[in-house]
Amino acid sequence: MTDTAGRPVANFETLFHQAPCGYLITDDDGHITAVNDTFVRWTGYGRAKLLGMKLQSLMPVGDQILYATHCIPQLGITGSVSEIAVDIIGSDGVRRPALLSASRFAATGQEPDSVRVIIFSAHERRLYEKELVSALRAAEESDARRALAEEELQRLALHDALTGLPNRAGLKARVGSIPAGAATDSPGEGNPLAALFIDLDHFKAVNDSLGHGAGDNLLVSVAGRLASAVQAPGAVARLSGDEFVVVDAVAGTEEAAALAARLLEVLAAPIHLEDLEIVTSASIGIAVAQGGDDTVEDLIRRADIAMYRAKERGRNRWELHRPAPSDPAVDRLRALGELRRGIGEGALRVHYQPRIDLHTGRASGVEALVRWQHPTRGLLPPSEFIAMAEESGLVRPLGAWVLDETLKLAESLRRDDRQGAGLEFAVNLSARQLNDPGLVDMVESALERRNMDPALLLLEITETALMSDPVAAVESLTALKNLGVGLAVDDFGTGYSSLTYLKKFPINELKIDRSFIMGLGLDTGDAAIVGSCIDLAHAVGIRAVAEGVETSGQAQTLQDMGCDLAQGYLFARPLTERRLREWLASHTWARP
Amino acid sequence: MLGELTAETVANRNNVTTLGRADGPVMVFAHGYGCDQDMWRRLVPYFAKDYRVVLFDHVGAGHSDLEAYDREKYGALDGYATDVLEICEALDLADVVLVGHSVSAMIALLAAAREPERFARLILVAPSPRYTDDADDGYVGGFSDEDIQGLLESLDSNYFAWADALAPMAMGNPGTPEYAEELRSSICRTNPSIARHFARVTFLSDTRHVLPQVQCDSLILQCTDDLLAPAAVGSYVHRQLSHSSLVQLMATGHCPHVSAPEATAAAILHYLNPRP
Repeated sequence: MTDTAGRPVANFETLFHQAPCGYLITDDDGHITAVNDTFVRWTGYGRAKLLGMKLQSLMPVGDQILYATHCIPQLGITGSVSEIAVDIIGSDGVRRPALLSASRFAATGQEPDSVRVIIFSAHERRLYEKELVSALRAAEESDARRALAEEELQRLALHDALTGLPNRAGLKARVGSIPAGAATDSPGEGNPLAALFIDLDHFKAVNDSLGHGAGDNLLVSVAGRLASAVQAPGAVARLSGDEFVVVDAVAGTEEAAALAARLLEVLAAPIHLEDLEIVTSASIGIAVAQGGDDTVEDLIRRADIAMYRAKERGRNRWELHRPAPSDPAVDRLRALGELRRGIGEGALRVHYQPRIDLHTGRASGVEALVRWQHPTRGLLPPSEFIAMAEESGLVRPLGAWVLDETLKLAESLRRDDRQGAGLEFAVNLSARQLNDPGLVDMVESALERRNMDPALLLLEITETALMSDPVAAVESLTALKNLGVGLAVDDFGTGYSSLTYLKKFPINELKIDRSFIMGLGLDTGDAAIVGSCIDLAHAVGIRAVAEGVETSGQAQTLQDMGCDLAQGYLFARPLTERRLREWLASHTWARP
Repeated sequence: MLGELTAETVANRNNVTTLGRADGPVMVFAHGYGCDQDMWRRLVPYFAKDYRVVLFDHVGAGHSDLEAYDREKYGALDGYATDVLEICEALDLADVVLVGHSVSAMIALLAAAREPERFARLILVAPSPRYTDDADDGYVGGFSDEDIQGLLESLDSNYFAWADALAPMAMGNPGTPEYAEELRSSICRTNPSIARHFARVTFLSDTRHVLPQVQCDSLILQCTDDLLAPAAVGSYVHRQLSHSSLVQLMATGHCPHVSAPEATAAAILHYLNPRP
């Protein structure tokens, strides 16, 4: 054999037979008409056996189906297929992973149609692809599982496990969006909302004498009666223990009172428990929206006050809450003036609550909590004034001050002695601060001023604040994250409990709301929620923190559930700077 | 029946192509598993002169709208039959000759059972109403459940190749230079996840119950040596389907319209216009 210039060239037949992969020629149906030595050696069949055999018959059935439905038509239409993954079964019965490429040549003169096939051994590559595909499938499955978990958590978070009624969060989700004063587009057709706060009389006696099982049965039965006495869109919820709330649109106070009377009647029918006939009664407080901007929460709070009056006045009755005559606008202005003055005069304090690492039992850091030393009302917690500070914009200077105070303490602890090294400092951010364009600069300059390692600062944002403007929140959080500070979601479980944002926001920590921790050991529903939250945090690779831990039983349960950090009265109350130093000193045994 | 769907939505969803003689009788071609409307390329020229030819891609295949893929709807062959009926309605087609290959032969039967008045004739190329054997009544479909599991594994092995829309060999193809490069890169493109779901739906479905419900005249084209639709299955379909004719083709394999277009076209034309 020679090339075009007449020089001898390599023997093409040798090239065919000794090629590093299998070469075959088949007819359109796959019957093998020629095969090279490499393929013969690789498969272990004799050449005579292979000739005339269908190439597909060397493949497992699954590959044959794919070959018949996909490759043959494609070969027929386009004339080629490339790198189809198939298994070739050798004479030893062992499958050999391979890649198959083929081209079809139409008949010319004497030559009939033929297909030229190349088969590469592809063991490594197929193994690799197999791993990729199974990883892909696993990811798809875990996505599906996470969606289920989210649904379940949502349900748990919004419902009371014992009675199946909505809990406080569930009630809020259902009626919270309706302005209580003028429910114009609600089915109440412009009627105001009323809240009826229902507390069973002498429920504790049932629990004490008949046991918790009987008490639970009683609650379930009461829940059923209330639910069937209130028609949609009215809502019935169980807040805790023997406290229920009904929220419904009413024409006025008379209708609300009539509803309360009907509920008392429904509850008065005897209930059979463990062969005993029990007659229950309840005390009901009623609050009807006055117009203006009452929220459902306000209504429930007022109804609660009225309920206590019903108890005082002899139980088994209802009382209407009548707000004391005052001008709320004037009250608000006065309070705001006091707060502004308080900030100016140094009446604000920062207290610090230690956070305990449940794995080691040691203090891992502290949470900074602001307090207002009010001239007449005493030491006020943030819940009494932060909302006002938010509305007025005072929260910005206040927040900056709290952060600086905290970092100042961090700096001094670090300088003073061994106590401070490695302690984490958690500081709360409000919704308004989160939306403040100056926030990131403020944090950055505070870090620089106090020479603080950003990794030891943790900023806590409530779930509700995050969700008020999620797009802006992602932006702010990402910028904060880039500074190197840690981020925590506070009060988790009280708002949307959406896992979607857990993935979206660059957070490091989930703080489970204290209301769920309180129920540990008392309420299986709460235990399920806490467990889910912890699992959830770990599933997305972040820490779970419990707040409001008050008993060693709760701490033990949390530890068993794998919770990472905890804080609460069990370990320490929020402490002044001086008391914190003492506390740390007396707990230094716990720090190496 | 289209409800909120517009004719345009349906046409885009299924990448509907119309060619041939605009005022001719209508032939709709439904492709089978593993391919798209391009697989009719060799057969269509035999009909384009006299017929109005309508081609489409099942949702998930070819250039169909992948966004329209709804796992629940397409979790049964009936979802595909709904699409065929919607295409007929969107194009206002009447007296349709519906040609279905492989699984689409069964989809054609499901459609004809639901709207008998829409169809004049059915051409069933290599049909099989059930691919797996049925131990309960002794039905032989040719495959075991393990075989179908093996198919799903094969699909997984080809996941990445399919995801790349089966890119053509870089060196091109000297054998059939008449085919343009862009055709080669697009034919039989399939979304791998959908291909897997469609495989399950196709190969684990049982549509035997629909056979006795169909009264439309039909032609069964049975291939020689067809792995997917053995001769016994063709005879079974013929027995269960009243007003059906069975023609045995010399063509081998599962795709006679690709491997032997001329003979396949001749059999169909003879059935549609018998010479005395």
